[in-house]
Amino acid sequence: MSERKGVSAATMRRAGKVADMASAPLRMVLKPTAKLGFPYRPPTTPKGVVVPVAPTRLGADYDTAWARRAPANAARTIINRGPLQLMVKMLADPEILGVDRLADLQAKGDDAPAVIFAPNHHSHVDTPLMVTAVPEPWRSKLTIAAAADYFFDKRMKGAAAALALNALPIDREVTGRKSSDLIRNLIDDGWSLVIYPEGGRSPDGWGQEFKGGAAYLSIRTGAPVVPVFIDGTGAIYGKGMKRPKPGKSRVIFGRPLRPEPGESTRRFNARIEAAVTSLGDEALTDFWTARQRTATKTSPKLTGPEYHGWRRQWQLSEQRKLGAAGVRRRQKRRWPDID
Amino acid sequence: MKALQVDKKLAKLGMARMLSAISPAAAVRMGPLEMVTIDPPALPGPGWYRVHTHLAGICGSDLATVEGHASAYFDDWVSFPFVPGHEVVGHLDDGRRVVIEPVLGHAARGFEPPFEGAAPGDGNDYAHLATGHLEPGIQIGFCNSTCGGWAPQFVAHDSQIHEIPDTMSDEQAVLVEPAAGGIHAALLTLPIVGGAERPVVAVLGAGTMGLCAIAGLRRYVPGVQIIVGARYPHQQSLATALGADTVVKPDELARAVRRATSSHMVGDHLSGGADATIDAVATSDSIADCLRFTRPRGRVVLMGMPAQVSVDLTGLWHRETQLVGAYTYGTETMLDGSRRRTFDLAIETAQQLGFERLLSATYRLDDHDDAIAHAAAAGRRGAVKIAFDLRPAPKKESA
Amino acid sequence: MPRPGFVLEVDRSTPPILFWRGENFSLEKLPAGRSRVIYPPEPLKAIDDIDSAITHALLNPIDQDPLPALLLPGMRLTICFDDVSLPLPKMQQPDTRQRVIEAVLDMAAEAGVDDVHIIAALGLHRRMHEYEMRHALGDRIYDAFHPRGMLYQHDAEDHDNLAVLGTTDHGEVLEINKRAAESDLVVYVNINSVPMDGGWKSICTGLASYRCLSHHHNGETLQNTRSMSGHRKHSALHTSIWRMGQVLQENGPKLFQIETTLNTDMFPKPFDFIAKREWEWTGRDRATYLATTKSLNRTPLRIARKIFHNIEAPHQMTSIQAGETEAVHALTLEHVYRQQLVPVEGQTDILTMGIPYVCPYNPDSVMNPILVMCMGLGYLFNMYRNKPLVRQGGVIIMTHPTYRDFHPVHHPSYIDFFEQVLPDTTDPVVMGHKWERQYAEDEWYRHLYRTGNAYHGVHPFYAWYWGAHGQQHAGKVIIVGGDAPTVRRLGFTPASTMDDAFEIATDVVGRAPTITHLHVPSLLVADVS
Repeated sequence: MSERKGVSAATMRRAGKVADMASAPLRMVLKPTAKLGFPYRPPTTPKGVVVPVAPTRLGADYDTAWARRAPANAARTIINRGPLQLMVKMLADPEILGVDRLADLQAKGDDAPAVIFAPNHHSHVDTPLMVTAVPEPWRSKLTIAAAADYFFDKRMKGAAAALALNALPIDREVTGRKSSDLIRNLIDDGWSLVIYPEGGRSPDGWGQEFKGGAAYLSIRTGAPVVPVFIDGTGAIYGKGMKRPKPGKSRVIFGRPLRPEPGESTRRFNARIEAAVTSLGDEALTDFWTARQRTATKTSPKLTGPEYHGWRRQWQLSEQRKLGAAGVRRRQKRRWPDID
Repeated sequence: MKALQVDKKLAKLGMARMLSAISPAAAVRMGPLEMVTIDPPALPGPGWYRVHTHLAGICGSDLATVEGHASAYFDDWVSFPFVPGHEVVGHLDDGRRVVIEPVLGHAARGFEPPFEGAAPGDGNDYAHLATGHLEPGIQIGFCNSTCGGWAPQFVAHDSQIHEIPDTMSDEQAVLVEPAAGGIHAALLTLPIVGGAERPVVAVLGAGTMGLCAIAGLRRYVPGVQIIVGARYPHQQSLATALGADTVVKPDELARAVRRATSSHMVGDHLSGGADATIDAVATSDSIADCLRFTRPRGRVVLMGMPAQVSVDLTGLWHRETQLVGAYTYGTETMLDGSRRRTFDLAIETAQQLGFERLLSATYRLDDHDDAIAHAAAAGRRGAVKIAFDLRPAPKKESA
Repeated sequence: MPRPGFVLEVDRSTPPILFWRGENFSLEKLPAGRSRVIYPPEPLKAIDDIDSAITHALLNPIDQDPLPALLLPGMRLTICFDDVSLPLPKMQQPDTRQRVIEAVLDMAAEAGVDDVHIIAALGLHRRMHEYEMRHALGDRIYDAFHPRGMLYQHDAEDHDNLAVLGTTDHGEVLEINKRAAESDLVVYVNINSVPMDGGWKSICTGLASYRCLSHHHNGETLQNTRSMSGHRKHSALHTSIWRMGQVLQENGPKLFQIETTLNTDMFPKPFDFIAKREWEWTGRDRATYLATTKSLNRTPLRIARKIFHNIEAPHQMTSIQAGETEAVHALTLEHVYRQQLVPVEGQTDILTMGIPYVCPYNPDSVMNPILVMCMGLGYLFNMYRNKPLVRQGGVIIMTHPTYRDFHPVHHPSYIDFFEQVLPDTTDPVVMGHKWERQYAEDEWYRHLYRTGNAYHGVHPFYAWYWGAHGQQHAGKVIIVGGDAPTVRRLGFTPASTMDDAFEIATDVVGRAPTITHLHVPSLLVADVS
């Protein structure tokens, strides 16, 4: 059944009339200022002059330091504990498990070290979900590594991401020198980080290979890595969906991992990926099955089965039935969704 | 003669009913019971005798009448104004000491008795209680024609008169009528427990009637295990003295029955329970309790006089429990098949078990307000039976 | 640096001392010059990295092979754990049991062990509710094992699942849970809050049958247990259990005992003032105390109980040792005494103590009068080594409201015990011979123990036996603030105020008796010389 395409003509006409009605008083107010010029209005450029282009600090260069000062922090707390938490609850109804694995770190209270959270990534909902799921004492000092080319390509978008989520711009493919220095300094100052090792959201519902960003940062800064498995958000607002569909989700925290002395980034990264895989198994089956399969190295891979095409998608819906996504608010149809 | 009389005055009945909740003493003073001067009753005919009262007891049904609580059911079975008092010991004109079986039965009213040697209370048709050549009245003490025990004299028919031996004191004799009621209730459990090895019978309430029922059970139901719920310490010790095996407070009775019968508790009902229960209290709560700890297909004997009650009978239906009224005495069939008059059993029992210890206090007729207030609060005040003493001075006051 | 326990000699400047009174507190002034208060040691620091400590203990056990070496594919593994009668108050999650069992399961998974049963070793205690199991074990273990029927609670009345392992030379029969008896390896996860627990007691009581327990859970044995917190040779209870332990060692399955100890950090902020020394209360502590007691006076009892039973204590692991039972237990006791021992000189005429709202037999439940006796004369009186704190024939004074109130689901046989047995006799030996059998064989109690959440029919007797030594030792027992008829039913003397109690005591101990006050709630063991 196809959705209605766009807005109807009659609605457009009505909207136009409303806009006209609203603009009348606005015009009355702004009329006196029409006569004002520079410096109230931006300047016009004379002929024959070359205006140097101001360096637009966007992408990885966007400066987010203001977002970590007190007024911004206060505003963020209000946003996160109010509207954001409500939105997350309504969209994703999260169940948060495994926080007891962090008890030893939490017990240190004020001396608790900054921590790097490494979740799998299926949806834009993941970030607000993490922001509300991460327990104290890290919750109030949390930054998110967000894709520089997606979130920080426009000023407004960048500002919104920085304010609401305390986002940091980070290059997807290679962790640039500037980003990693910034993050290192922040971790030393006690700011914890959420970074998605997969780099971006899953395109087809299955996971992607883990890149080494989290491992690299942990080795450089000494902060432990907490693997996290998020289940169900792909079905709520996955990549490519037009509108979010409210459902249930689950966040499972794993045991903190520290790099062995002298361990390479690649190997540590593999360990982190194995930990998240194991948590994924735990989410879909149970603790004991996950431990047994981890021990025999038979845990189902996050990247899904080897084959392609419709069977890959079919397998995904079978898996989703097992997890939190399978429990939909309104149990509509049980057909696998092959879009 | 001066006698206590109850007249049907609506205002007084209503006043008494209202006040009885607050102060029984006030209820009596404002109620329908009055000391009046009336003529001694005339003998209705041959076979009738004049009885001169010695002691006349105050019974629970008398209290209900005097406090305006009696059910409207009785309106057609009594004739106002009447002199109350049906637990009487006195003497006849010829000097014989007698106790009275108060039911005004077939013989008294001029009807054929239902069978040879029937007692006044026998028979399956009660028409004779409201008709015949007397005013309606179930008993002496509710009948206008005969007067009653709360007067110096009244009349009784030959069929109601039981002579008592000289060895029996007045104080023992005045307990004969309640003893008969208790024994009758105890024998009503026989169809259920008769023949069982060690039946369990629970008795809820240990006022006069309850204690008489305990005595009746111990004497006439062999091998019975009696578990009693008694509220006051003096009742508890009397219950034990009269033969109860276990005596507990009423709210512990269900658990005591559970332990004795090794049942489970399912919700607030026992899975099993007592073979029979005698309810000597007869309120909605007591009937509900009895239904809870009587075993399925057991019997609850309702000995106390209830009024309008509200009980959930689903348990009774499901457990096929029998709920049986126990009103009065007549001719009993014992366990060995023999037939005895209840009153005869009662006279034996009252004498052999020394029932004078149940008579806690006596009052003159003039002190009727105090007497009735005492009777209404008997349990709380450590008393069991209160009676009027109409014997001439020197006053014999019993403890 | 946590300070050790010490004995305060009360003088005129001593402030009034805190007494527990069930679901409330009071401050009582003790007579100067002849009273002393025993303060427990402050909580020791917990282990820093608990998970590493657990792993280390499992890989380096005492007198036993490392756990991975004992785990073989295809074996039958049974993991047993202490039930929620301890620790009190309940621990903040994650509970020690959860941590240790998860570590064991990790190793079991590594080794490929499939046949794993996890059994709550509760003896004749009540079955735990689901939320209690989840609290102790965590959701992961519960959701993985319970639906498969691999996590369950010991049933001492399931005669098809009991096995006799042998008889001691005193004729005591050791009969325990069959699955455990026939396993290839039994791992026991214990929390040792008090010196009484642990060692052979874990399996010989936790997985035992009624027949087995009745050999030492009786009046005579407990009268000769002096004390249960002290040297084993003075405790008839432990002597008997240790004999059974020999039988277990010879004829039973291979055992891997894991014992842990906790510090005594029993109250979270802002209620930590309860364990503080009174003269160190800050202004805030005093305000909290006043606000708490005044509001509790106005709170309905049901709600006050809920508040108290929901307290989660921040106590945490101070040691963990694993391996051979006796060797492990010796080390465990050292740690327990390190935290709890207080040296005390001499006995006094009177011993006072405040009874709290909870004892091991009413977690999340009602403290009925029998448990008041059990807690006072059983647990608190017996927190000594060598000699009791009060002299033979002295007076014991407890404070508790002692309502005639019972939890009908958890303690049904306690109600009948109170109504039927106590009016007849309060002598533990007499009641054992006369009444215990009826309660052991009652079908309904058995049904409730096996299928409901009720303590076993004989459990009120066991609670009473626990106080047998104290009952014999004291010349008089007075309960201050209790319901008078109920206190008398227990065989004690009721008093309205502490001063009245001291006055009543003078009949037994003379005009100016010496007084010891046991400053619980924090646990302590008085080493009396």
